[in-house]
Amino acid sequence: MNTSPRKLNLDEWDDRYEQLRRDGLREAGYGGPLRRHVVREKDFRLQQLQFDNSPAALRLWNFLLTENERLHQARANGHKIVGTMKDLGTVPVMAYALPGVRAFYPDGAWWTPCLMECSDKLLQQAEAMGIDASFCPVRAMLPAFENGEHFPQPDLLVCSTGAVCDDFSAIAQRLEHLGHPIFWWEIPRRRQPAPGEMACALPGNLAAPKIQVDCVRTELQRIGKALGHLAGKTLEDDCLAAGIRAANQARRLLDSLRRTVYFAPAAPLPALEMLVAEMLAIHFCSDREETIVVLDGLLAEVQLRVRRNQFIVSAEAVRIFWVNPVADLRAMNLLEELGGRICGSDYMFTHALDLIPENLPPLEALARTALADPMVGPTSDRAMRIVRECQAGHAEAVVVSRIPGASHCAREGEIIREIVRQTIGIPAIELEIPPVCDALLPSLGSRLQALVETARDRRTK
Amino acid sequence: MQMDVFLTSPWIPAEWIRAHGLQPRGIWSAETFQHGPWPLSAGVCAFAEAAVRFAEARTNSAVIFSTACDQLRRGFDTAILRGQSRAFLFNLPATWQTAAATQMFRSELERLGQFLLAIGGRAPSPEVLRQDLLQSSRTRKRLLESASASSPRGFAEAVARFHWDGAFSPLQPAAPTNHIPLALVGGPFLAPHWKLLDEIEAAGGRVALNATETVECSLSPTFEFEAGANHPFDVLVHGYWDNIIGVFQRPNTRLYSWLKPRLASRHVRGIVLWHFTGCDLWRAEAQTFRETFGLPVLLLEASGEPGAAPREINRLQAFVETLR
Ligand code: SF4
Ligand code: SF4
Repeated sequence: MNTSPRKLNLDEWDDRYEQLRRDGLREAGYGGPLRRHVVREKDFRLQQLQFDNSPAALRLWNFLLTENERLHQARANGHKIVGTMKDLGTVPVMAYALPGVRAFYPDGAWWTPCLMECSDKLLQQAEAMGIDASFCPVRAMLPAFENGEHFPQPDLLVCSTGAVCDDFSAIAQRLEHLGHPIFWWEIPRRRQPAPGEMACALPGNLAAPKIQVDCVRTELQRIGKALGHLAGKTLEDDCLAAGIRAANQARRLLDSLRRTVYFAPAAPLPALEMLVAEMLAIHFCSDREETIVVLDGLLAEVQLRVRRNQFIVSAEAVRIFWVNPVADLRAMNLLEELGGRICGSDYMFTHALDLIPENLPPLEALARTALADPMVGPTSDRAMRIVRECQAGHAEAVVVSRIPGASHCAREGEIIREIVRQTIGIPAIELEIPPVCDALLPSLGSRLQALVETARDRRTK
Repeated sequence: MQMDVFLTSPWIPAEWIRAHGLQPRGIWSAETFQHGPWPLSAGVCAFAEAAVRFAEARTNSAVIFSTACDQLRRGFDTAILRGQSRAFLFNLPATWQTAAATQMFRSELERLGQFLLAIGGRAPSPEVLRQDLLQSSRTRKRLLESASASSPRGFAEAVARFHWDGAFSPLQPAAPTNHIPLALVGGPFLAPHWKLLDEIEAAGGRVALNATETVECSLSPTFEFEAGANHPFDVLVHGYWDNIIGVFQRPNTRLYSWLKPRLASRHVRGIVLWHFTGCDLWRAEAQTFRETFGLPVLLLEASGEPGAAPREINRLQAFVETLR
């Protein structure tokens, strides 16, 4: 059945789901109506969201929202579970290169208060554990570890440290004090090679001194040993090279998806689904093969829509480049309701989107990728990539979404906005979005509205 | 005149700066570090922001930032964008149990050396460095020996003086009191905050252990030459690297191992956790301190006023009261 693209709320999805079933929808094992996540997992926020109406989007959401369930199942099937923390994209490539190992980010509990509309009380529990609202929402991870009601207890916990945010560093340290041993590894703050210093090219048009790459490679080697020990199998270079190729397969799909959606004359897929799809890059939502299937489905859908000239957000919408993930997913809907569309993004893990070099020894390639993390380098490097991508996506404005309590947000917004204004002269604003932003909707709405109007006015000048 | 090189962390070796013929200064010891209320903007650590502003104003000096926390790291980014060309970011590893981390610390010292040469320093002579390390070691040792017996304020002033110009100031022993022994643990402790030590005394407490990061623990580096055979640079590297006690280290067990015997030997009955607005690293330790040491903990926020803010003094008095 040919249904034109549109957004549906949860009630409308109930009907749509029934219709799709009647039409013979075939689903993955984790499939089902979206409504069940509200009933079973208490993901109440879904009731406030607008979703894309395609079966591909349904599969994406079901994949995302069943992650904990699938992890528990994997544990029951004898798989080893690795909790990788903070590096967003590198260690999972290594973990998935080994048979019977699954890696996930406990950091993902970041979104649990939003999804459950704080009914889980994780943020209050974190406060009782000594981590209050002066820390970013990732503090939800702490009680999630303790109460075991979300993800399974990992068999191994790995966390990058050094050039990371203070929030995570402090919370992970608290976690370790609470009895969860952590394998710490150093990611140094990336710097420009000095004149005459041996340098290495990194993904994302970056460079780092060889000495830093060597340091990270040595650290990854230690991790490789620990993972191999857990799996009962040495992580050999050929396995790792195959893991990198598989990760790149997902990254290539995502790249095509981003290009198709962000560069199209109008948006063929909503911003919210794009945010979720991008997130799959960091640890494949605990299932690498299925990530590839999900991304393939989304790409096929958007390519079809573009061919048919069917869009979900009109060509009139103002093209916005979005920086940082939103603590409340509702904000992505809001932007489109107010006449904006996403034409580019930096959700803090652009290094997980770039291809991992396949022409280098695998650990060297991963070390270079880890060092390309936008959060471990100077903010100006991050800002310059944003500028380049704004130009590529013809952005008309930039939104830096501030994460409550996040140490990096204290300064990066100002620096990014300044560099964007100086280099391409488009308007840029910074907005703080809490895990449930309902109370702030009027003020968030009016600021976004003003930005959209300013950008529209500039079209006529 | 020697150029001043301001250090934002006591774990950046002052001895290395002196060996290059430049004058190291603990930024926290500078009288002009912060005048008036602390610069507060959402989420920014007041100490880190004051360091950025200081760097901006002192373009004839150099400022060495460290990567010990996100706030200082990004503060450096801001200082550079605001035009401070004599700023350097020292990559201080958070891990400390691996050869890779030691190597990184070592190579950062070498890189710092290049920077110091570029701003007018001279190539360090091993003998000058050796002499300076020996002198510094003696001063650190003498200060540490008098830590528990000196007046809390006199000790804080003497350590600040050491971080300012390397000098030793003789200390007077404290008169015995029956005040409640407390530990002051936390972020940088600056000259305007010395008054807090008097306020604690007035409330009936006494800081028996000043473990703020710029006072007693900052003296921990020690430099041992075995029969004169070691190269001074190696002694410098290990003297610091093996003895850093940082809240930022991962794991930060060294901080706990350092605190534990001292809390016990000085009969500490409560911990005042001293932190700057916006500092996650120290704030997050409060509960772990309670659980690990079984002591009550009072969180006290550094304010722009000398000593503690009036509201904080009330809390301090109540805290000491409960320990009676
Ligand atoms: S502070 Fe930022 S980078 Fe750190 S955990 Fe929170 S959102 Fe992630
Ligand atoms: S007080 Fe805390 S946040 Fe501020 S510079 Fe020191 S460690 Fe960093």
